[in-house]
Amino acid sequence: MADFSKYTKKDLNVESASRSQRISKIAGNIITYIFLTIMAVIIIFPFYWMIISSLKTMEEYRANVPTLWPQNIYFENFATAFGKANLKDLFLHTLLVGTISTVLSLIVTVLSAFAFARLQFKGKNVVFGLLMATMMVPGELYTITNYLTVSGRLPFASESISALDFTNTFAVLIFPMLVSVFYIYLLRQTFMQIPNELYLAAKVDGTSDFKYLWKVMLPLSVSTIITITILKMMGAWNAYIWPRLVANDAAHQLITNGLRGASFTDEFGETNYPAQMAAVTIVSIPLFLIFVFLRKYIMRGVSRSGIKG
Amino acid sequence: MKIVLKNLSKIFPSRNKKSNGVVVAVDSLDIEIPDGKLVGLLGPSGCGKSTTLYMISGLQKPTMGQVFFGEHDVTMLEPEHRGVGLVFQNYALYPHLTVKQNIMFPLQNLKGEEKLDKEEMLRRAQEAADLVQIGDLMDRKPSELSGGQQQRVAIARALVKAPRVLLLDEPLSNLDARLRLQTREEIRRIQRETGVTTVFVTHDQEEAMSISDIIVVMKNGVKQQVGEPQKVYDDPANLFVAQFLGTPPINVFDGELSGGWLYIGNERVMDVSPDEPDRPVVVGIRPEGFIPSGNGCFSGDLKNIEVMGRDCSVVFTNEKSQKPSVRAIIDSDAGASLIGMSKVSFDLKRNKVFLFESETGDRIRF
Amino acid sequence: MKKKIDNAQNNVTAADLYDRKTIVKLNRDIGSQNQLKGWIYLAPALLLLLVFSFYPLINTFRMAFLNGYNGLAIVGGESFSVGIENFKTVLAYSDFKQCLLNTILLCVITVPISTILALLIAVALNSIKPLQKVYQTVFFLPYVTNSIAIGMVFNAMFTRVGLGDLVQTQGIINNILGIFGIGPFNFVNVGSSWGANMFVVCTYIVWNAIPFKILVLLGGLQNVNKQYYEAAKIDGTSKVRTFFRITIPLVSPMLAYVIITSFIGGFKEYSSIVGIFGEGMGPGGNGQMNTIVGYVYNMLPKSNLGNASAASLILFGIILIVTAINGYVSKKKVHY
Repeated sequence: MADFSKYTKKDLNVESASRSQRISKIAGNIITYIFLTIMAVIIIFPFYWMIISSLKTMEEYRANVPTLWPQNIYFENFATAFGKANLKDLFLHTLLVGTISTVLSLIVTVLSAFAFARLQFKGKNVVFGLLMATMMVPGELYTITNYLTVSGRLPFASESISALDFTNTFAVLIFPMLVSVFYIYLLRQTFMQIPNELYLAAKVDGTSDFKYLWKVMLPLSVSTIITITILKMMGAWNAYIWPRLVANDAAHQLITNGLRGASFTDEFGETNYPAQMAAVTIVSIPLFLIFVFLRKYIMRGVSRSGIKG
Repeated sequence: MKIVLKNLSKIFPSRNKKSNGVVVAVDSLDIEIPDGKLVGLLGPSGCGKSTTLYMISGLQKPTMGQVFFGEHDVTMLEPEHRGVGLVFQNYALYPHLTVKQNIMFPLQNLKGEEKLDKEEMLRRAQEAADLVQIGDLMDRKPSELSGGQQQRVAIARALVKAPRVLLLDEPLSNLDARLRLQTREEIRRIQRETGVTTVFVTHDQEEAMSISDIIVVMKNGVKQQVGEPQKVYDDPANLFVAQFLGTPPINVFDGELSGGWLYIGNERVMDVSPDEPDRPVVVGIRPEGFIPSGNGCFSGDLKNIEVMGRDCSVVFTNEKSQKPSVRAIIDSDAGASLIGMSKVSFDLKRNKVFLFESETGDRIRF
Repeated sequence: MKKKIDNAQNNVTAADLYDRKTIVKLNRDIGSQNQLKGWIYLAPALLLLLVFSFYPLINTFRMAFLNGYNGLAIVGGESFSVGIENFKTVLAYSDFKQCLLNTILLCVITVPISTILALLIAVALNSIKPLQKVYQTVFFLPYVTNSIAIGMVFNAMFTRVGLGDLVQTQGIINNILGIFGIGPFNFVNVGSSWGANMFVVCTYIVWNAIPFKILVLLGGLQNVNKQYYEAAKIDGTSKVRTFFRITIPLVSPMLAYVIITSFIGGFKEYSSIVGIFGEGMGPGGNGQMNTIVGYVYNMLPKSNLGNASAASLILFGIILIVTAINGYVSKKKVHY
């Protein structure tokens, strides 16, 4: 009935087949590696250029024919950068804001995630759905009103209430951005993977909810906690828009704003690019360190979200 | 197409990097598979049977040795040039394509002179689908099919390009018991109808015995025995093969050769060649090798009698048995007469008793 | 309580003895007795969200639909009529049109390019063994950066240095292009064209967007059952056909995810451009590269709150539409 063998090609040409397969395999490999290498060079190039530029003198940077490695390594750019951009203060502000908001954010996130993952109460699913829905809304929509709120311009008042004007304080850099629905979601997912039996066992032993959260759930969720910590810290480090609006004075300015706002232009209108690149390098170093040592935690969080920082 | 494996070996580096060790998955395999036969590669899991199949397909390269298709050495040939059809254990049907698209997929890869027009492809896909009796499911997605139907689609996809060799990796392991019986008959039928040389891998001896023309029994990457299923069953090459084939399994005892006789415990069971030197041996007795007899040469304490229609199995103990109990299959009438007894004794069928070296497990032909 | 005991049978079930409410109560699992507890745990988050998310959401709508709203004077002063004047005004502004055009172009150009590049890189990465981890690390590098800072680096690479006619270096990118006999171009300096600026911004955004996409796509590729590729190989499927007929359909859920997130990110683009051009959003602060978000933030200090709110709602609307289109297309095209 179904004699498929009539379709089978009779000759098995081993010689030519093995030659062509060898050639195509090698060619494929070479093309793959060449492609990856070219792309990798393009990806790395800005970092490379940033670093070598930061080590050049202005004369060398300006040279008509660019040098691919600084002829004299000129560290003074870093000193200039520190002075011009007031980097020390910026570092301190950012560290302060970053640390406080990370700690507070973790507390709030852990409590909410626990409630969503473990506790039973009416309205839980409605609230959770509502929170998830806010992830759709672009943050810019909040920013306008939040800007008014923190400057004491409330909808019922005819003018700004100066007692409620919190602009140019550290608090205003911390609280409006404290709750991230995404972090709550991330941690809730982690919590929910912890088997329910552990909770029941703890209940049987008379463990309180809070003690169970502290002694069992948190230790089992360390890696997600680390992920959230890193993302939150990076968020503070890279924050630009909100700080620029509400706390851009010298006493509260954060690193990114200071960097963008600093003038590296001299009295003749010429920009000191090596010093600027030195400042950029300094700002990038902590991020590089995080990248080198804590990459896997970021990757874990990132692959589950589209957010940056 | 005849398949010949010559001195075929596959050695993997051990997962434990520090030990610098290796794992020998397949060890110097020499097998000749005649054209047009259905061959079962049989062995416990981890015995290298799947690796062997993958080396025949070309998906894995042997560490040493050669694979011949007919006269051609295809060892270094990529799978696409070998013209094999492979049915994966979990079928590997493309989830986003319909049954028809899945079956046509291999045909659409043909290039140059072999290229087919659309009608011809559809015709052949339909032919293959009809062969495996899924001709009416062509527009479904794999997720809408039962396990048995998916299996048939996978076979159709493997057959549609008219392979020189059809390979099946554990074709029945993902099916439930009822479908398994049905599908193995189906595989037998399809192989008969197409006449394509077929190799399948299984850990289920019953499955292999029931449909194969030839079985290859493997253990730890080493070929144990090759032959027609009944011949291998009746004449096992070693203790492993004897134990691996047959349900219920063969009964194994510690015995002793002494002065041309085989002793199990104190009982003188059977005469052997007087040339055999005296030594301890392992004795295998098939369950069907026992004949109840009032004053038989071999006895034990009766534990239980299970009647199953025509036959019944007599469960008894013997202190020399390597397992807690011994099982004999006799016909029900004979079994009925044993009910209520505390001791049972048997004569043994000579051709159901096998002797093995106690050290190596090699067969002793007496 | 309902009691219906059949003495003859004496066959009593819980259903006969208790009404539904009691049974629900009896069946309640441990840990669920305290309704209040859940709300206490949620309180800090909800309070903050109420003030800084839910209220702003409502208030933004309110401001957007009060004609000409400037945030002041409800008590006693002038009041604002309800209407869509703000939207009309915003959409009539040539500035806003420019922002809208820039934003849409940025998305339309960078999303396909970065997605295709990331897919190619991910597939290439997935196909190699030696050095895979090294390449993977390199390709993830741009993710962990400060977009303002690296924007400044891109600016430096494209900028020519020197005053007036005394141009000394054309910038490294012009230098490199010069090797191939192209250029030099005025990419970002004062007087540079809108097209040249667009090129620089798109290059930067693509560079910046690739790591996230590679990460997601590579994850998707690594989850594809290897047997599909083995099956394709057995059948002699060519690399190209395998890519289009197997790889793309099987990672289509990740592709859809990556495309939607980068469209949303693209419509909110702002800080990359600040990084390159500063808050002037264009060479010499001329604003020719401004985006919707940039427009919203420019309106804020001017107390042009009605317009700012309207503009941000337009952005929200665009994002909703894009998400909806993507969801619709995904349903049709994304497999399983």
